[in-house]
Amino acid sequence: MDNNIQSLETKPVKISISLPTNAYFMSGIRNFTLGLIRNMTEFSEQWAFRFQSIVDELCNNAIEHGSEPGKDITITFISYPRDSIEIYVQDTGTGKNKMKAADLTKLINERRDPNYVHNGIRGRGLSKIVAEWTDELDFKDDSSGGIEVRIKKYLNDPKLKEMTQYLESPTHLVLN
Amino acid sequence: MTQVTITIEDIPATTQGQIAKIIKFQGQLDESNVDEKAKIIYGVIEQNPQNLYLLMDFEDLEYMNSKSIGYLTDWYGKITEGKGRIVIAKARSNILDILQVVGLTQLINCYNTLDEAKFALLRQDNQG
Repeated sequence: MDNNIQSLETKPVKISISLPTNAYFMSGIRNFTLGLIRNMTEFSEQWAFRFQSIVDELCNNAIEHGSEPGKDITITFISYPRDSIEIYVQDTGTGKNKMKAADLTKLINERRDPNYVHNGIRGRGLSKIVAEWTDELDFKDDSSGGIEVRIKKYLNDPKLKEMTQYLESPTHLVLN
Repeated sequence: MTQVTITIEDIPATTQGQIAKIIKFQGQLDESNVDEKAKIIYGVIEQNPQNLYLLMDFEDLEYMNSKSIGYLTDWYGKITEGKGRIVIAKARSNILDILQVVGLTQLINCYNTLDEAKFALLRQDNQG
């Protein structure tokens, strides 16, 4: 029994979910992500909400570009206890706005440039939210023609404390 | 579709020609509803292209995705172009966090209370 508990505390935990390409399902995935980060990782409450946004943005991107209606996207969470979390989002490569991994990487890198001006309604999700809140972000073409997006966030990231602190100070302008 | 409700109330204006409104968001703005709901705000802007002062009450807004932030940025652009102003009140910490990471808090001021936000919205200077 003790060995089992110890194993659960140190062994990576992997959970995969497949869902149809419909934004209707994203509310449930966001709730699932929030619960998973709160209950299965040592990330703070603030990070639970950040991962909720990260997963939402990755899935919306996969739905928009990667998988045609009626096909699925797959989300995989791997929690490495006391170390990190890794999240994969895979599409089928059947979407009408399909992109290759190299094109997506190039696009994100362009949009991450501090001088890049976001004029449109779209385009902030991966470059301004996912990229800012993760330590590793990469795109890979998979054998079925789709794209696999992988993100990783480490608990021991030296920036973690700094990034978590700033909300403790009011960001609002306080009027006297 | 994820639930979100938008309600709009007039705020008594402090100067002539000023049109001021509180827009209250309740629920979650996401990919399933934001395009439809954004039309409500565009309707308000189209009816009042000049001197429109909007207070976005985010107290009950639980979630917003990047596209809804894109819309908010576009509303900011249209309203300031028409010599109006837009402010945000009572945003939850997760909402403020996401507004900060995309840099929107540098454009639109966020306030802790409705009173502070109303004061800032209707004050007679040229600060956002």
